[in-house]
Amino acid sequence: MAKTDEVIRVPFLMKMEYRYALGAYASRFFQELKDHGRLFGIRCPECERVYIPPRPVCGICFVETGEWVPVSDEGVLVGATVVRLPFIDPMTGERRPVPYGMGIIRLDGASTAMYHFVDETDDAKLKVGRRVKARIRANRKGNMRDIECFELVD
Amino acid sequence: MSANSNSVDPIVEQKIQIPYSYVAGPAVSRFLTGLKDCVFYASECDACGRKTVPPLSFCGRCWKPIREFVTVGPRGVVESFASMPGGETPGVVYALVRLRGADTCLPHLLDLVPGQKAQIGAEVEPVWNEEREGSVLDIRSFRLRQAG
Amino acid sequence: MPQKVAIIGTGQTKHAAKRTDVNIRELVNEAVTRALIDAEVQLDEIDAIMIGNMEPFEGFMFPEHWAVEGWGGYLKPSVKFNTGGTVGTTTIAASYYYIAAGIYDTVLAIGFEKQSDGHTQTAITTVGDPVWERTMMAGAVGNFALMASTFIAEGGVTDEHAAKVAVKARHNGARNVNAHLQMPDLKVEDVMKSELLSWPVRKLDMCPQSDGAVAVVLTADHLAKKRCARPAWIRAVTTAHEQQYMGDSPKRLAVMRSQTAASRRLYKMVGITNPRKELDVAEIYEVASWAELAMYQNLGFCEPGEAGKLIDEGVTLMGGELPVNPSGGVLCTNPIGATAMIRVAEAALQVMGKAGEHQVPNVKTALATGYGGNAWTDAMILSASF
Ligand SMILES: [Zn+2]
Ligand SMILES: [Zn+2]
Repeated sequence: MAKTDEVIRVPFLMKMEYRYALGAYASRFFQELKDHGRLFGIRCPECERVYIPPRPVCGICFVETGEWVPVSDEGVLVGATVVRLPFIDPMTGERRPVPYGMGIIRLDGASTAMYHFVDETDDAKLKVGRRVKARIRANRKGNMRDIECFELVD
Repeated sequence: MSANSNSVDPIVEQKIQIPYSYVAGPAVSRFLTGLKDCVFYASECDACGRKTVPPLSFCGRCWKPIREFVTVGPRGVVESFASMPGGETPGVVYALVRLRGADTCLPHLLDLVPGQKAQIGAEVEPVWNEEREGSVLDIRSFRLRQAG
Repeated sequence: MPQKVAIIGTGQTKHAAKRTDVNIRELVNEAVTRALIDAEVQLDEIDAIMIGNMEPFEGFMFPEHWAVEGWGGYLKPSVKFNTGGTVGTTTIAASYYYIAAGIYDTVLAIGFEKQSDGHTQTAITTVGDPVWERTMMAGAVGNFALMASTFIAEGGVTDEHAAKVAVKARHNGARNVNAHLQMPDLKVEDVMKSELLSWPVRKLDMCPQSDGAVAVVLTADHLAKKRCARPAWIRAVTTAHEQQYMGDSPKRLAVMRSQTAASRRLYKMVGITNPRKELDVAEIYEVASWAELAMYQNLGFCEPGEAGKLIDEGVTLMGGELPVNPSGGVLCTNPIGATAMIRVAEAALQVMGKAGEHQVPNVKTALATGYGGNAWTDAMILSASF
């Protein structure tokens, strides 16, 4: 093999556009969030787990869910971290600003949890077990970012 | 639950952007470097004799490393083409060009002037950019060779 | 009756942060060439090829077509797998099923990733559900930090325990010629003082990003006995998926339901009742030091809450009762599409007695696991006899 002393790299910026359908369950959840700033889960009639995100089937019991139940905009941190490692956010193509707080949040009345931003970058304060409350935007579009972030309460 | 007011958009649109940077490897680097000098390098397997563009450093059929490079082209023959309707430059077609002496085809653009038609078997030649940096885009396009 | 299946050869690249000297096809070719030589098998004796890779990391769709000259797949039956971190074990599992079913006798399994060609944290963010999760995803590091925080909250593990796992991995890796990170002199305090990426995960708690490929030759028993003095028999394979959304299992690392379910099922299949005693070695998919500690519990090596004690007592060190990741593991080498298959290849090397400087003496039974996606687990048992 003849050697070239040059290492050639070929750059390529991939840009892909997608259109994801919400489906009936997410549509209903986000409609309620947009119109009234309220959060709903859906209950399994068998194990009584309340799922967020809402879904048609309880994967554990494999039965249809059906009963929409309101859940609180307050909950508890099940997991928490302050992200300090910068990376390129594929949603924008730009570096996501760091540091920022993140949590795994279980809302009161829900059995499952959700990942979301938490408005706190102090490692000493952002701890598992802390109570949090959703900061819901005044001007809502009907998507996950209608919850701007969570904030520590108590 | 209520469904008054305007409904939520049933579609979430996302544009995903991820930057990549591909290492060309020794054989393809040889090819790309050659383009700076308007030369096409093919790899030649010393077992099956296949001359490949872009070059390979390994013949997957004979399962042998490839050590030979030969120059091919610059003229070639259109083996296949597809016009690109709705493209920004009318008359540009996407073509597979088999460079003279090569056994495989190079995908590239074919630039037609008004009155010309792409044809399988048509003889073509590369149109080079003035400034070349070792990229397949150093070849601006291929163009039909005038008959005779 | 299913055919019995054995691994008779493996090949790996020298894993590295950036292989700028080769393209993807050439990288794969190195591992395949080494595996065929190790197995003493010619390419025309391979009936089919199974290839695993995670396309978003290279943005490289259909690598099985693009790289066909490099992996010897020209006109051969082949299948591609793309199942997240588990891709390497899934590819081995599929190879196993094909041979066990009698469809093929000899299969070449390949896993690869060239992460320096892309942006791992960026690509990994696209695994989140686009409607519910993607805008909040925080790459692999942030995600693991969240998971680790749930584990710490359960009690029993400290930063120091995690650092000991990180040191164990790097010391083991220093004896493995193919490992990416080679850090024979790393100390616990170095890990605890390394850059905080996302609490509690520090830089040296986390796996690297690697360029690398691995290939494994599997064959049916009637050929294995002729070809290999000491093949590594695949005794049992299983896989378990658990959840749909990231928050469905809130204590994701502390209680890893897929891993508990898969490992208990696997042990039952081969009659293992005390894995810590009955396994001679384990090669597990631990992406972070904290994950390895959680996996000790989830895989049944100790009771919940005792993972810290296990590393304190040296049970999982080389020379301990159950050495975990003598190869250095994922903490030393992580070309994602290859990583889980490297676990299997390394477990096979241990059973075959071919692990060289990082050989555990007298390995008869080995566990290999894969982990990825939304907390999925693949697991298999390799042994010296069937
Ligand atoms: Zn249920
Ligand atoms: Zn050849």
